[in-house]
Parts: sequence; C-alpha cells; structure tokens
Amino acid sequence: MQMVKKGALIFMAVWFGVLLFMPKAELYYTLEKTLAKQDIKLNEKSIDEGLFSLTLKDVTVYMKGIALAHIEELDFFTILFYSSLDVYNLEVDEALHTKMPALTKEASFSHGISAPLIVSIDANGTFGMVEGEMNIMDKKVHIDFVKVENIGMIQPYLKKGKKGWFYEKSF
Amino acid sequence: MKNLFKPEMLKILVGVLTFVLILKLLWFVAQIVWLSPLDIDQEEDQSSKALYYRVKLTPNNIVAPQKVVKQPVKKIVGSIKELKLLAIYNATDISVVTVEYRAKSKVLGSGDMINGFTLEGAGGNYAIFSKDDKNYKVMLSKNGKASSSTSSIREVPKEKIQTIEKKALGEVTNEGDIKIIDRSLLEHYAENMEDIYKNIGISEMKEGNHLKGFKINFVRKDSPFAKLGIRRNDVIKSINGQEIKSYNAAFAVYKNIKNVDNLSLVIMRGKEEMELEYEIN
Repeated sequence: MQMVKKGALIFMAVWFGVLLFMPKAELYYTLEKTLAKQDIKLNEKSIDEGLFSLTLKDVTVYMKGIALAHIEELDFFTILFYSSLDVYNLEVDEALHTKMPALTKEASFSHGISAPLIVSIDANGTFGMVEGEMNIMDKKVHIDFVKVENIGMIQPYLKKGKKGWFYEKSF
Repeated sequence: MKNLFKPEMLKILVGVLTFVLILKLLWFVAQIVWLSPLDIDQEEDQSSKALYYRVKLTPNNIVAPQKVVKQPVKKIVGSIKELKLLAIYNATDISVVTVEYRAKSKVLGSGDMINGFTLEGAGGNYAIFSKDDKNYKVMLSKNGKASSSTSSIREVPKEKIQTIEKKALGEVTNEGDIKIIDRSLLEHYAENMEDIYKNIGISEMKEGNHLKGFKINFVRKDSPFAKLGIRRNDVIKSINGQEIKSYNAAFAVYKNIKNVDNLSLVIMRGKEEMELEYEIN
C-alpha cells in the first residue's frame, strides 16, 4: 500500500511538473511554424500562459497572406488526460460570407483519455448549433446540425438524414 | 526548525529539487532541439491599396463636347452557304478552322469574320458562325471535296452552343475599340468564385519566394474571359493600378470588383507588356 501511495505521489509530481514547466508558448510557435508551411499564419495580439492553459487574444488568420478570419479569443487547455481548444467569436471576412457562415460564436474541440481516438466538436453561430466528432482512426469527421439557422451557403456540402442535416467527410 | 534540518527532510527536499531541475532541463532540451523559439507572424501587406477610379475632372456640370464618330455601316452581304469547312483544329484555349470562300482557303480563329459571319467556336466536326444574333452550324466537308451545298448548314438555337454549365448572366460586348463588361457578369463571378475556375486556369508565378504575378494556364473558348482578350500564358501584373504581387492584393481586387466602373489589366504577353481596358456597364 505504501508503495502504491508512493508511486501515485511520484506520478502526480511528474504530471504536475510536466504541465508546470511545459513551454506552452514555444509549443504554440512550433504549431505556427507547421501551419506556416501550409501558408497559414496566425497573428495574435497577446499570448497568456496559464498553469494548464494558453490563451491567445485577437487572432487574425491569414491564408496565403489573405486575412480570412478574426478570432476574438482562442483558449487551449490541457491536463494531459483531457485537452480542449475553445474558439470564441470567429468572424470570417465579408467577402466569404457567401461561402461560409459569417460568425461562429463558440466552438469547442475536446479530447479525453477515455476515448483517445475521438475528438468531440461542439459549436454554435449564425449557422445554428452543431455537435459532432472527428474519428482519428477512421479519419472521418461527422457533424450533426442540432439547430439549423442560416446554412444556405454551406447546404451543398451537407447531407440530410433522419435526424436532420449533417456534414461528413473523410480526410 | 530542528525538524526542517532533519537529514530525512533535507533528503526529500534535495530529491524534489533535483526532480524539478531534471524536468526543467528536459523541457529546456526539447525547446532547444525541437521547439520554435520565435513567433511567426504575417507581415502586413503594404502594397495593397484601393483600386483607382476614373473620375470626371471637369469643374462644373457642363457636358464635355463629345466627338461623334460616325461608324461606317458595314454592308454585310453573302450567304453561309458560300463557306465550306475544310479543317478544324481545337485546342483548350482556341479554335482554328480552315474554310473555303470564293475558291480561296482561309484560316480563321475564334472571333474572326468572313463574309459577314463571325467564327464563334468549333466542335469535333462542325464550326459555329454567328451573324445578326443568329448562329449557324457548318458541318465539316467530307474529304474537303463537298461543295457548299453538301455542307450541312442549319440555324441552331444559341443556348445549344453555350456551355452546359450554369451560364453567367451578361456578356462581354465590343463597342468599337472598347470592350464592355456587363455588370451582372462581374457580380456573378464575384459571388460564384468557383465559376471563374471553370473558365480560366490561373497559377502563381514566383521568383524565389516572391510572387511576380499570376499566369493564365488556359482560357475556355467562348467564355467571357476569352472575350476579354486574355490568352494562355499571359501574366497578370496589375489590375486597376494595383500590382498583383501577393494573394492579398489579388483578394483586395476581388473584394472591390463589384464597385468599379472600369477595369484596366496590365499583362505580360511574351516579353511585351500590354494594357487591356474595359468598361463596366
């Protein structure tokens, strides 16, 4: 019992230490570097490192040098067993309003150790409300439209099932 | 105080500090070896500027005297039956046909006129000519021996010749030397970007990492883009004074295209720089 207790303590200490000393900003810069290879760049006004989180504010998303979208806040949170990425107020450029929803008020992507191959997706915005998941094993994204509002511009990419509109794509 | 300096407690403290040091060191090594220390930001494109507009510079509302040029009325005479289609060459961007007219053979490209008929395009075994808003289909003569009477000539509805795909509203028309683009056509392409790429192929032209312009890979014949006079291998250098040296500049043009009253393209055709001007109506 003493050994288990000691083991748990060491495990907790390692886990906490790893999170505490994790160079979160540098990890984000590395992600930026990877995205830059695909001509995607993120310009942010501020980066705040928390104990378990990283918060970016006023992020402009550039693709091939074109400012396509603006995100008010982007929160990355991890305790290793559970990670999430929350996006607040994602607005796409006016020129793209005929191609994609103008505003995503909130979008959340989460991953837990209980389902390691699944990333859950929840979002709401001018398109309504969606729930879905990304299966890393099957390389498939399935998103159900729980509440439908303005989806005219994305309707060609959607399918209609028994439960309503859904989006499905393999990657 | 005594308890704090107990050898056991000191051992634990040293152990914890060593563990923290090792963790920190591991992250430090990872940071040096794998992680990027610098933030990568997109530089603001300073070259992008608003499109220029032609403005009326006269100080008052007096209408400037306009030079009235009387266009000589071309007498168009002749019959389509006088044309015999001898050969057809179809490329992705152009159609060339050989016709026999009054015992002489002549090579025509899309838009060329003969006997009052304009070559609009060609299919596998026929060519389409137009005259007075009517289209005429001339079938290929067998072995080039068939006379005009054996050439099958019939009037075909215009919509049959046009592409099967959803057609954009409006047209590009020639008014003397000036090409006029219908505004509805411009609005259609501004809202349906994918329709642009059905008619014209554009790729970036780079010199090292710097964008030099956008190259036209193909122009679909009979498309409005072909009527603009743009050809394959042309390189678009600027639009309405805006140098197209970045995607951002191109996107700025795209965003404002619905608000312009005229268009001016500077292109490189081979080694020659050309300016193509259009009015939007």
